[in-house]
Amino acid sequence: MIRLSTTLRCITAASVMVLGQAIAGPYDDHAGTTLVVNFPAHPHYDAVRKILPEFTKETGIEVEVDQLPYLKMRERQTLELGQDEGDYDLIAYVVFSKADYVYADQLENLARYFMNPKLADPSYDADDLIDGYVYNIGFAGGNKGYLQGKTGSLFGIPYGSETSVLGYRKDIFEKHGLSVPETYDEMLDIACKIPELEPGMGGLSSRAASGHHASHAFLLHLAPLGGRVFDDSWNPIVNNEAGVQAANALKTIVGCGPEGAASFGFGEALGSFLAGDTAMFLDTTVVAGQIDDPSKSKVVGKVGWAMHPMGTRRGSQTGGFGIGIPKNAENKEAAFLLMQWLTSKKGDKLVAMAGGNPSRFSTHEDADVNAKFPHMKTFGEALKHADPDWRPIIPVWGKINADLGTTLSKVLTEDLDIQTALDGVAERATAIMEEAGYYTWR
Amino acid sequence: MVTEKSQHPGFYAIIVMLIIMSVGPIAIMLINSFKLDVDIISGSTGLLFMPTIQNYETALCDILPYELDHLDYCALKFGGAFINSLIIALVSTVLTLIIGCMAAYALVRFKFFGRDTASATTLMVRMVPPAVLLVPVFGLWNNEFCIDKASWLGSLIRETFGGRGDVCLAGTHSGIIIIYVAMNLPFVIWILQSFIVQVPRQLEEAARMDGASPFQVFFKVVLPLIKPGLAAAAIFTFRIAWNEYLLASALSDRDTKTVPILIVNNMSEFNVEWGVIMATGMLLAIPPIIFTLFASRQIITGMTAGAVKG
Amino acid sequence: MSNATLNRLTPYVFLAPAVVIMGLALLYPLGYMVFGSFRAWDPSQTLGESTFVGLKNYVTLWNDPNFRESAAVTLKFAFTVVVVEMFIGVGLALLLDRKLRGMSVLRTLFILPMMIAPVVVGLVWRYMYHPTLGVFNKGLKTVGLDSVDWLGQHALLSVIIADIWQWTPFIFILALAALQSLPRSALEAARIDGATGWQQIIHIKLPLMMPVLIVTGLLRLIDAFKVLEVILVMTEGGPGLSTEILALRISRTATEFRELGVAAAMSNYLLILLLMLTIVMLVYNRWVEYRATRAMRIAEENL
Repeated sequence: MIRLSTTLRCITAASVMVLGQAIAGPYDDHAGTTLVVNFPAHPHYDAVRKILPEFTKETGIEVEVDQLPYLKMRERQTLELGQDEGDYDLIAYVVFSKADYVYADQLENLARYFMNPKLADPSYDADDLIDGYVYNIGFAGGNKGYLQGKTGSLFGIPYGSETSVLGYRKDIFEKHGLSVPETYDEMLDIACKIPELEPGMGGLSSRAASGHHASHAFLLHLAPLGGRVFDDSWNPIVNNEAGVQAANALKTIVGCGPEGAASFGFGEALGSFLAGDTAMFLDTTVVAGQIDDPSKSKVVGKVGWAMHPMGTRRGSQTGGFGIGIPKNAENKEAAFLLMQWLTSKKGDKLVAMAGGNPSRFSTHEDADVNAKFPHMKTFGEALKHADPDWRPIIPVWGKINADLGTTLSKVLTEDLDIQTALDGVAERATAIMEEAGYYTWR
Repeated sequence: MVTEKSQHPGFYAIIVMLIIMSVGPIAIMLINSFKLDVDIISGSTGLLFMPTIQNYETALCDILPYELDHLDYCALKFGGAFINSLIIALVSTVLTLIIGCMAAYALVRFKFFGRDTASATTLMVRMVPPAVLLVPVFGLWNNEFCIDKASWLGSLIRETFGGRGDVCLAGTHSGIIIIYVAMNLPFVIWILQSFIVQVPRQLEEAARMDGASPFQVFFKVVLPLIKPGLAAAAIFTFRIAWNEYLLASALSDRDTKTVPILIVNNMSEFNVEWGVIMATGMLLAIPPIIFTLFASRQIITGMTAGAVKG
Repeated sequence: MSNATLNRLTPYVFLAPAVVIMGLALLYPLGYMVFGSFRAWDPSQTLGESTFVGLKNYVTLWNDPNFRESAAVTLKFAFTVVVVEMFIGVGLALLLDRKLRGMSVLRTLFILPMMIAPVVVGLVWRYMYHPTLGVFNKGLKTVGLDSVDWLGQHALLSVIIADIWQWTPFIFILALAALQSLPRSALEAARIDGATGWQQIIHIKLPLMMPVLIVTGLLRLIDAFKVLEVILVMTEGGPGLSTEILALRISRTATEFRELGVAAAMSNYLLILLLMLTIVMLVYNRWVEYRATRAMRIAEENL
């Protein structure tokens, strides 16, 4: 069976070649190659898998997908990228891995591919890619080492990137005459009113489980409330007023949230919104597809979308994934072709139609996409306020993030005092930063 | 002992409760594996639902001969993992038994050191949690236990089996099998010792008089007599190799994933698809359940031999 | 080679494979780990590339409140689980030690939970503890009680209950076997002396079973320190560190925080702890065995 299909593939590849010779297509040299790619288990990449057959049909390049939960994926990549020759030709990496991989010189600089006339598609239109995402996910070496800046260059392309939006139950808000919250005060107020108005329903469902879940939820509130993890000289300032306010907001939200909210991971938080147990959901844009999927959701058609509420400023998150080519990959050029195809205008629209997150401005404005997903407009609007510096992307962030997450979880479940908790985080973060050499230039 | 005729009714109530408690969770898993996610989430408690095998189809999509309508692509590849699990569990069971049997026999018959020392050592080794082995095994299997791909053996392996880079134990079936054999050996040796001790010496001596070599004595006389012990040891080894997650997840690559890894991976944070997970859980649980139903006596023998006689 | 040398070599030939495998895959790794625990070791390095840092990893851990909490959780989990399981398991064995039709079926059903993969046990219990879908909260709701935040506020308790479900049968079966192999003469004698059921249990049965019970308890305790998958699937160690047992913390330190040296040092701490426990239990067992033989002798003399 396998042999037969390989033969068939060879024939298709051959026929593509025969046809191609007349116009000398860019994919000819690579038809028949099998690329091994490493993707996270994530709704966007589920959508990507739906459109990959289209790529194979068009180019003759086969793609084998190894899909893993994202912590697992990172673990696997650490191992694979460290070897002389790796298995993966293309990897999707989570934003904060950028720091590790680029610093360890494990990702290809994309310049040589975009300079190669045989590989780079002139109609690619890189300016159409959303700026915030490109700098957040693809750029390294700019300001602070991880932001946009004159010294930076490109190591990856955002793919499956997200920002945060507020989903709310239109029916519930209408029933009680509530208006959609514009500011943090309004949002917290409504979050705690809901359980009174609708017994059994939680206000806002948020991630809160120990570890990266809790930390993510906290950082989500930190930026709009005017806080930062570090000041400009790398001193931890999570424990300042804004930090305490953000932790308070998280605590209020979890307190007025659905049953068991303190142990919710992302899946449970979303699940509770999908099951109609909560009235609001403040998290990533990635969930939109599932909310409209009747086999998973009981709230199809009842959800409205609004911008992430404002604290002292607007600052929705930037996150998600980018794709890059490992230094030790076998088929780098074919991998670049796949990467370019996926993030091209055509690929971006295809994946958006399949339920993924587009990473181009044009896709957000595309008529077909908007007809299928009316919320795309709001999402495009939210992107304008996406904050690339809502969390630091430095190699030691994983450690600080884990500590922040477990400490916050203690605040939520064991009533640890917020100021004490954050002071502890700041103190331990200082030690970690000191050890990593961030205070060398003092 | 109280005889059968006069049992208090409360006694039967306790027994029924115990049965419900021990089988209940498994029954819940079984029932839910036949429900669609919508039915599970909608929370109708009862047995009133349309049973479907869709969850099993989703899980086994890579080895089903027909295409599935409800799937756009086959994400789970459970079939492949199931085969990996089978290979790893069976090979490590067979190897552990052969090696363990020989070692136990040598320890008992040739009096290397006292049985006390042997069982104390066994206990010490049994004490080592898999998590403790995680770091060193990860390092060794990936970096040290490797064959250079430029060497003749290395290039031979790369040419035959494909793949890239140096040939390392990590990512291969053998890599996982070796660690399982090592982990199970102490326990198997311990159990088998208590059975071999009971084999009458005279039988062996008679065979030797007839001109049998030590190997023949071992295979023709001793082995048949300790079959119950072998059965018990086999089940316990198989169980650990079949169920283990941590080390397998550190050592396997995308082609050698076992079922437990798949299940943990599939509890991903973005959507917990309860129906499919229950179906995969059920599939993983079936072989041990079959063993238990058909060989519970051997299992109990094995358990008690370990503690009571050892 | 002559027959005699072959015979002399036989034991070594029989032992060799076991020694080689255990040396290669158990002892060498343990040595490697001890070596690694003195180094700052990142997963992207080989051990040779890492730098020697002396006792730093051990000291850092010793002063790390998270590690201490995790160690406390481990001890709390292991001892609670073993004590409760011993009580229930031995109690059930004493209760069910009678001639019953269908006893073998019963025993078969009881051992099911411990044969099933821990991963599966974890996922079933995670489902049963689910705040809205789970059977426990649904049950509470039908009775009209408030639902309980199982895996949130009572995570450790919930994890302990799941472990008790899975492993009490182990103790039950071993205790039953021990009971049934007790010398009949001692029991008969006690009955003739007019000892009540309770007196028999406390003065005859339990003391005589003690050596087996101690080994059983010890085996269970060792296994309780190995538990990882069930907790990983149910709570991933959360909320906070409330269920983050050492085994889980080792694996997180190695994979999530990417500090192999620290993880190795932590593994060593865990090994030392287990070693001490094992030795204490073994010594205690010797002592109890001695007392039990004396008790049996006295019981027989009384006959």
